[in-house]
Amino acid sequence: MASSSSKFISEWWLQRISAVIVAAYVFLVLALLMMYGTPNAMQWQGLFANVGFKLATILTIIATAYHGLVGTLHVWPDYVKNRAVLSVLNAYTWVAAMAVVLWAVYILFGLK
Amino acid sequence: MSDTPLAKARARPVYRNIGFGDLAHYRLPIPGIASIVHRVTGLAMFVCLLFLLAMLQMSLKSEAGFEAFRSVVWGNPIAKLVLIGLLFALIYHLVAGIRHMIQDANIWLDLASARTSAFVMFGVSIALTALVVWRLV
Repeated sequence: MASSSSKFISEWWLQRISAVIVAAYVFLVLALLMMYGTPNAMQWQGLFANVGFKLATILTIIATAYHGLVGTLHVWPDYVKNRAVLSVLNAYTWVAAMAVVLWAVYILFGLK
Repeated sequence: MSDTPLAKARARPVYRNIGFGDLAHYRLPIPGIASIVHRVTGLAMFVCLLFLLAMLQMSLKSEAGFEAFRSVVWGNPIAKLVLIGLLFALIYHLVAGIRHMIQDANIWLDLASARTSAFVMFGVSIALTALVVWRLV
């Protein structure tokens, strides 16, 4: 009992912390867009070549994947009552969340 | 005392389990709609994440890739509409998240504030989406 309630509390906090990380990044990108307008290829790729922006981006994508994983896992059982279907949806959710992080690492740090 | 004329005259409401036929008479209140839309926008963005990464990769691979994104994806009216929909989802989900955290602090929990803030939330996110789209050529 104690472990499940403390798990709930840490999940509750992590959902909010991850939300704040994503929100800060979204505000940053929208502020850049508002200030400089739509970027051209050079500006866009230059922004993503910046190491600080790469780190902010990967941090945000990890936060997004975690936030989406927890949120989605909570939403499915409210609408899907069939246990087999639910298992498939949960498996999809885990695979998609992990794939997003791995692919983002490849795009930001592996792509040449 | 139970046989007073007043008691006889008053029509008593009858409560039953509702069936499908009754559903049309029930309307989800605005805060309820706001909550469902928070879920739907979150789910839609999660499902689309991998497609968005594919577009990010395309746009970063080369200058030709960036131009291909602009002409093939952004130039396609349906794809553009989906992307603008996702932008609205992001902004709405963010604004709703801020309202959610304000309510975590036990603020705006009474019915009147919950209704007003839900209305304001829809207005603010539609306006912000329009502002961003206006800046995206």
